[in-house]
Amino acid sequence: MRGWIKRRAAGKRNSEKRLDGRNPVGVAPDSVSCPQMAADRSETVIELTDTDYTYQAGSPFAAAALYGVNIRIRRGTLVGIAGGTGSGKSTLLQLLNGLLLPTGGSVRVLDHMLVPGLHKPKLNALRRRVGLSFQFPEQHLFEDTVEKDLMFGPLNFGIPREQAQAQAVEALHAMKLDESLLKRHPLTLSGGQMRKAAIASVLAAGPEILMLDEPTATLDSAARRELILLLARLCREEGRTILVVTHRIEELLEVADEWIVMHEGRAVFQGDADELGDRADELDRWGIAVPEPLKCWAEWTARLPQLAALPLPRTAQEMARRIAEAVHQSANPSSSEEEAGDLGRLEASVCATN
Amino acid sequence: MRDKLMIGRMIPTGSRIHGLDPRAKIAAMLLFTAALILSDGWLPVVALAVLAAVVLTATRIPLKTYLRAMRPLRWLMLFVFLFQWFGGTGAGNADEAVWAWTFGPVALTSSGLSEALLAVSRMALLIVFTALLTFTTAPSMLSRGVEGLIKPLARRGTGAERFSLMMRLALRFIPALLEEAQTILKAQAARGADYEEMNLREKARLLLSLLVPVTVGAFRRAEELTTSLEARGYRIGAPRTSYRGLAWHSADTWFTLLFALLPIAALALRLTV
Amino acid sequence: MTRETAAELSGVDFAYEKEEPVLRDVHLRVGRGEWVAIVGTSGCGKSTLVRLFNALLRPDSGTVSVFGEELTEHNAPLVRSRIGMVFQNPDNQFIGETVEEDMAFGLEGLGLAREEMERRIASYSDKLDISALLPRHPGELSGGQKQRCAVAACLAMEPEIVVFDEATSMQDERSRLELLTVIRGMKNHGGYTILSVTHDVDEMLAADRIVALKEGTICADRTPDEFFADPGLLRSCGIELPFRMELARQLSALGLCDAEGEYGDAAKVGRFGSGSEADQRRGTRS
Repeated sequence: MRGWIKRRAAGKRNSEKRLDGRNPVGVAPDSVSCPQMAADRSETVIELTDTDYTYQAGSPFAAAALYGVNIRIRRGTLVGIAGGTGSGKSTLLQLLNGLLLPTGGSVRVLDHMLVPGLHKPKLNALRRRVGLSFQFPEQHLFEDTVEKDLMFGPLNFGIPREQAQAQAVEALHAMKLDESLLKRHPLTLSGGQMRKAAIASVLAAGPEILMLDEPTATLDSAARRELILLLARLCREEGRTILVVTHRIEELLEVADEWIVMHEGRAVFQGDADELGDRADELDRWGIAVPEPLKCWAEWTARLPQLAALPLPRTAQEMARRIAEAVHQSANPSSSEEEAGDLGRLEASVCATN
Repeated sequence: MRDKLMIGRMIPTGSRIHGLDPRAKIAAMLLFTAALILSDGWLPVVALAVLAAVVLTATRIPLKTYLRAMRPLRWLMLFVFLFQWFGGTGAGNADEAVWAWTFGPVALTSSGLSEALLAVSRMALLIVFTALLTFTTAPSMLSRGVEGLIKPLARRGTGAERFSLMMRLALRFIPALLEEAQTILKAQAARGADYEEMNLREKARLLLSLLVPVTVGAFRRAEELTTSLEARGYRIGAPRTSYRGLAWHSADTWFTLLFALLPIAALALRLTV
Repeated sequence: MTRETAAELSGVDFAYEKEEPVLRDVHLRVGRGEWVAIVGTSGCGKSTLVRLFNALLRPDSGTVSVFGEELTEHNAPLVRSRIGMVFQNPDNQFIGETVEEDMAFGLEGLGLAREEMERRIASYSDKLDISALLPRHPGELSGGQKQRCAVAACLAMEPEIVVFDEATSMQDERSRLELLTVIRGMKNHGGYTILSVTHDVDEMLAADRIVALKEGTICADRTPDEFFADPGLLRSCGIELPFRMELARQLSALGLCDAEGEYGDAAKVGRFGSGSEADQRRGTRS
């Protein structure tokens, strides 16, 4: 098995990590979002142009899943992909590593171009750089030790055994798991550990782009938060491009740089959280519940219009701070009597109880 | 979300065949099979083929779809054909044959060719008729049909009922299990082990490695399912009423009688010729 | 308010394997018509606990009683007809080939006549708004639809106690909220005692009581107000305050008083109580 894979992967040795001279960003203690980084951030790593996908095209059971999708994703960004059931978000991910080939339009990922009708393209070189973690990845573990499962990917991609071992350990650490788990049978791990180990096994091959399909499904809120912060760290500190399909926009709002909304096979929105907030009334039509942070911010912006100029605060703490600042700013002595009166009324309304 | 499995999917066209009692259709299939086995020679097989064609047309499902049902088995059919021709009774009938090529131990004769084609035709007819059954009968009706046919034969009690529940659950979950296996294969492909691009040995190894997650998944499902069954008060052997009974009509009687004639006719033909 | 007891666990121990006890000396009383949320980190034993009520599991020691009767081998089937359960995975509890058949499955086990089965199926599919889905195959339905069908199938058996075992955890946001509306409707109806094992905050807030399990024993049994006012407790159960509540908390920490009145639906927001209590809490919090 290794022989032919080696031949394929030969000469395609990209560096697994992207710490090439990039300074790790100092992360603000109570917020995970970071200022925009250097120029290579603007490089588009994923580009879908008028992409269509139809399941079983040509058969009586053909079912269209994607129509005319146009998306551009830049390197090193954390992108949240939201959408209701059947919107095509999972299909989208499978087009990005060649598991599915588009039936119309084109898909460019890194330096690979995927178009309809390609005859059995060799995609391992692409798949090494673009990792995909399916839903409930812990159900796909199959080796008898965690270590072997972690090494499965790297070995398939032609990475020599010793290095594969090292990468396995690194991936484990990246998911905040202990090395002692290496020799254990995957099924003896707790549910949360299995989930993380399964994601680590995709990470072990060192992909530049990591795609995860609902990685936090069924986890409790503390575990969800932990996982998302781990993913954010992979993005900020290691410069990986991370795509997360989710149906809970709220949990990613804090860390996502950009959002894509899918609805009935079309990409109906691409933009940042603020732009998403501007189109909050359309979310319902797209089959998505408006996330609480957007709702709260909209309510407060209505009350204190000066807040509208600010970008959407990512955490409750930050939002509270901005609101407090705005309220206290309005109490600035240089403001007119009218404004002071407004403020009084405002405070009264703010403090009113039901 | 979409159930993409084609094998055994019902294609509703509302034809008269769709409306027949599943017991009649299953009985017909069994009788047809018996007739096929008893058929010895082109005359009966062609007659059966004509009858099958008539029934197929009555289902209002395009012929193309039936041919598609044969696709997965095309290699097997080729194998049967070659096996029959090369190793079958050809050598024995060398003197009856119109022509014959002999290379050493192997004899290819025209009568051997005829036998081989007959074997393949029988296979094709069987496949097509089975497809007809699944295309015109909903799986739940199929299992009820089998249940209904077994009931008079089984002892009073748990046997038939357990079997029918087993069948129902298998029909319900096999597509889901297959889909899960497919997803696991995709996950493996995403990690560099692409099934499509492997040689036979590698494929075998990969499939073996699939065994673990698929089996674990199947057990997990089974456990959740039994818990759900128990929670809904299911007990083996406890009396149950039936929501959807099967109703037998005169059309079913005629249909079954027609097919009952087939093995008799085939046998008669065989004995007289 | 003392209600009649719907179900009770007394001094219950349970272990799947001898060396690893899952539940230790658990005492829990659920009143008729109550909605009790059972919470805790993964693996704390919440799902195990609810399976004791309908005899899916038998305790190693202690007693389980339902409607005053102690559960034994013999009355287990009878009890099962009075307790319904909806599970986490919508696929693995879907038995029938179609929604209609699935609903009929439980009813067949109850030995009902066909007309009664038809009546109940029509009635409950209407209540759960799935009438249009009756002839459909589960493969054609979304997770949320399947889960609603599971609830319909459960309610059609007309149980008095309904257990939701993480029924919303695999659902997307929309379906989760829809299911919550259904459960709230059941609560308002008054005829159901509801137990929900969950880590969903909205479900917890809507309940009458929150029972927290930790390492096999009950470590807290509070009303939602009390529960969400205790950050240490929340942390030990792995629960995070929902955004709105966290925002209110942060605002009060910064000197702006609690503004729950402004946020609309009081049921959604933490009920921090009236002004004076809020002041008190503000002092102790930040």
